[in-house]
Amino acid sequence: MGKTVTLAEILKEKGISLEQRYGGEPPADMVDREVKKEPTPRAKMLRNLYYQTLSSANMEFPYWYTRTYADNIHDVPVIRRAKALKAAFSHLTPMIFPGEKLVMGKTHYYRGSFPMPWLSEGYYMAREDELYKDAQERGSTSADELVKWGQGGGNVVKSFGNVVSLAGKFGIRKEEVPALLKTARWWVGKSVEDEAAKYEAMVPEYEFKKALMRSVICMFESGFTLPQGREVTNYYYPLQYGLDGLIQMCEEKKAEVAGESGGDLVSGMDRLYFYEAAKLVLEGIQTWVLNYAKEARRLVEVTDDPVQRKEYEEIAEVLEHIAHKPPETFRQALQMQYTIHIGVLNEDAISGLSPGRIGQVLYPYFEQDIEAGRITEEEVLELLECHRVKFTCIDVFASAGVVGGVLSGNTFNNVSLGGLTKDGKSAANRLEMLILEAGITCACPQPTLSVLYDEKLPEEFLLKAIECVKTGTGYPAWMNNRVGMDFILKQYEAEGMTVEEARAWAIGGCLETSPGSWMPLTLRGKTYWIPGGSGQPTSVGVHFLAVPKILECVLFNGKDMRTGIQVFKPHNREIDSYETLVEIWKDYFEQAIDVLNKCNNIQHDIWRKNNMAVWHSILKPDCLERGRHIGNGGYRYNATFNVETCGTVNFINSLAALKKLVFDEKKYTLEQMKDAILNNFGFKTAEEVGSYSLLQQEKREGGQVYDDIHGDCLMAPKMGNDDPYVDSILAAYEEYVCEVPRRYLSLYGKPLYICQISVSTHAPQGAATLATPDGRLAGTTYADASMSPYPGTDVNGPYAVFNSATVWDHSNSQNSQLNMKVHPSAVKGLEGARKLLDLTRAYMRKGGFHIQYNIVDSRVLREAQQKPDEYRDLMVRVAGFTQYWVEIGKAIQDEVIARTEYERV
Amino acid sequence: MISVALKHNDCRNFVTVDVSKGICRRTGALVMIDTDVCPNFVALPKCKNCASYADSDEEHIGFCRAEKTEHWTYPELIAVTCTWYKRK
Repeated sequence: MGKTVTLAEILKEKGISLEQRYGGEPPADMVDREVKKEPTPRAKMLRNLYYQTLSSANMEFPYWYTRTYADNIHDVPVIRRAKALKAAFSHLTPMIFPGEKLVMGKTHYYRGSFPMPWLSEGYYMAREDELYKDAQERGSTSADELVKWGQGGGNVVKSFGNVVSLAGKFGIRKEEVPALLKTARWWVGKSVEDEAAKYEAMVPEYEFKKALMRSVICMFESGFTLPQGREVTNYYYPLQYGLDGLIQMCEEKKAEVAGESGGDLVSGMDRLYFYEAAKLVLEGIQTWVLNYAKEARRLVEVTDDPVQRKEYEEIAEVLEHIAHKPPETFRQALQMQYTIHIGVLNEDAISGLSPGRIGQVLYPYFEQDIEAGRITEEEVLELLECHRVKFTCIDVFASAGVVGGVLSGNTFNNVSLGGLTKDGKSAANRLEMLILEAGITCACPQPTLSVLYDEKLPEEFLLKAIECVKTGTGYPAWMNNRVGMDFILKQYEAEGMTVEEARAWAIGGCLETSPGSWMPLTLRGKTYWIPGGSGQPTSVGVHFLAVPKILECVLFNGKDMRTGIQVFKPHNREIDSYETLVEIWKDYFEQAIDVLNKCNNIQHDIWRKNNMAVWHSILKPDCLERGRHIGNGGYRYNATFNVETCGTVNFINSLAALKKLVFDEKKYTLEQMKDAILNNFGFKTAEEVGSYSLLQQEKREGGQVYDDIHGDCLMAPKMGNDDPYVDSILAAYEEYVCEVPRRYLSLYGKPLYICQISVSTHAPQGAATLATPDGRLAGTTYADASMSPYPGTDVNGPYAVFNSATVWDHSNSQNSQLNMKVHPSAVKGLEGARKLLDLTRAYMRKGGFHIQYNIVDSRVLREAQQKPDEYRDLMVRVAGFTQYWVEIGKAIQDEVIARTEYERV
Repeated sequence: MISVALKHNDCRNFVTVDVSKGICRRTGALVMIDTDVCPNFVALPKCKNCASYADSDEEHIGFCRAEKTEHWTYPELIAVTCTWYKRK
């Protein structure tokens, strides 16, 4: 057996540069992050508890939901669901942790969640179980099998003692497993997944759809996994009216619409049922809050420590107030915001439920409390830190493919900052400065922060945001306010969107531009226009399409050579020109969208009929006014379904390599290229090597025969260098991909649009993809995001990256995504901060939509990979989210390490 | 009848942090669920402690006789919010 030779060594020997850094060498010694602050003792203690906590699931909510749902079989569906939700909320065990000021949780565990078998019940069964096998046959678990979980932190990747691991991440007590299985089996044939599968099978191309899922060309079906999310929620109604006021409103509305169709042919009569359902769920939420208040009162009685006893009294008072009335103070409003939020997250399986612009929503309470001396900024900061810990405790329970493969365990509760007010002024305020400060002092993944960058934002605010970036937490990300508004105006114009209303937009999920509305909040006689979400979930539709994998199928006549599945019908065409290649790819891409959209529409239709949001519908304009829940078109904006892609840059680079080497220069035939791809350019697979980074791949014995072709593929033009050869391919692709989804309609009859983020899917979809013509090797991770150059291939500096990334109009897409890794020494001090701000501004001014930074020395990441126990608190930015290093799978860790490190900017 | 030893998560003084551990409100210490309880143990309302609970043939599954439907339940279900709960 010869010596192991890595690609890095081969390239070095050949004098080929694929350096994963730009701008010189880093300092000799490993450099820590420059900005580091400590949280208040209370938040520190609560965060430390989090560090020791396992992701834990229990059966309380599912048990009561299922029991009540089963008992009300003859009710109208929305009432039946509301009764089940009311019972589930009312029976949640209240648990208040010592030291907490903000209380309540999804379950009684600190980091708790629970399965929702009414959505899907197969994926957490044992692999030999027939339910799991059914899901496998449908392709719902194919991505699960390619997921690499982070082995540390709170992930329960293996069963131990009396704890059973579910879906590779969540622990459940062994004693509760029989209840889990019994509940899951009750939902067989009734869950959204099972019900939808019956009707999906009636789509003529259903077998094709299953093949797309099994080959992992597509890897996320939102209808039964995460039906809501990637959107901005809205807190206005409970803040303005209080829960008693909303119950009263429902009673009045019921009397108004009972027996009246309102002239509506189909859903007019449904208004009565919706108002009754809304009232039931409001009562359930109210009981849930009051159960916590009762628990706080009990703790007052059994606690000796006078300080702790007083805190329990205060908690009880806050909860007793917000259970009935609109909040009057900042603390009450913050508690209510958190309660509303986790209420939505308990109603449905959701990732990416963004609080939106809460610094502006909560500003009225902050302003009046500060003016009246009811609270100090130090107290606000402590509460905001506690708020961060509470949000970080949120888990979402879904399959390994979804939670691990798509989300990397993240929940994407994104807070947007900045942007403009209703009348077009800077919306940044003092509370947002404190939110940024809490993000610095109490660094933890949630809520992640996003700046809606606008030229009108004050320098002081922008520099504060830069200070936060320099902590290395990866937040805030920077989104272009004007580009976002342009997208919103174009996308929702048909539903009445105006320039004024477009200013209320915010980021949903990691990077999903979402519509909002201005609502008039009145506090002590003063009216404030506050922004809040008013659109349906986004990133529902077609997700995620691995565009390099579709190219692979084009080259191999429609067949997935990894699994042997004939995914697409053979095109049987001779690919004798670049134009023919692109034409076949477009045909395959459109076939995939067509069938996946049809099946997704069925899934979401079943969801809206049986599993519709009631609590969330209460919150969003204009459901209460119209008497319609989300499924009946109650939301103000409904054109939110989209097509999401993954692997853009590897695809573009691959087209460039094929164009140059096969069609323009004719240096290789297509057959030679296909042979090299099938043989992985003479390398072992990433799985064999145990690394998912290109440079660490190892040569097979005898693999040298592919050295020349591989070298040429690696040296072919690459996106990110201001090279017109490849950038023109990107421009043409974007022109096409921004237009084509609009030919397809969602179940709400609205045209789809493109969404270009990778989240974490570039790892499992990369794992499912053979070598690509750009020189990337089989099973290795794709380039992250959609505008990030492939690691090590951007050799002309950041401004060349910006030029390449902005050859197209970003406002034609819901988003674009660019990640950049910068060495801490490159942005040191105030001068470095200003450089980083200038860099950000430059990209925004060129029309880039989004940029985010990892300010980190890559050597720290390598060391953390070797010594995870010493880095429990290390966080990195992946692609639209910040996550603890130890909870990220190795494939993504390798990818983040491999990203080009900028030594100067 | 399943005979199992008392666990810390059977105790009213126990703050359940996760599936393996929690905090004792009396001592403030972090303790593992599956360790011996102390003399200060106070029973937490759970279905298995309720007068309406009846065992079944299935392990860790029983019945709730508080309602006519006699719905199935499980012994570990916490009942502090259950309006039918009556201590055995």
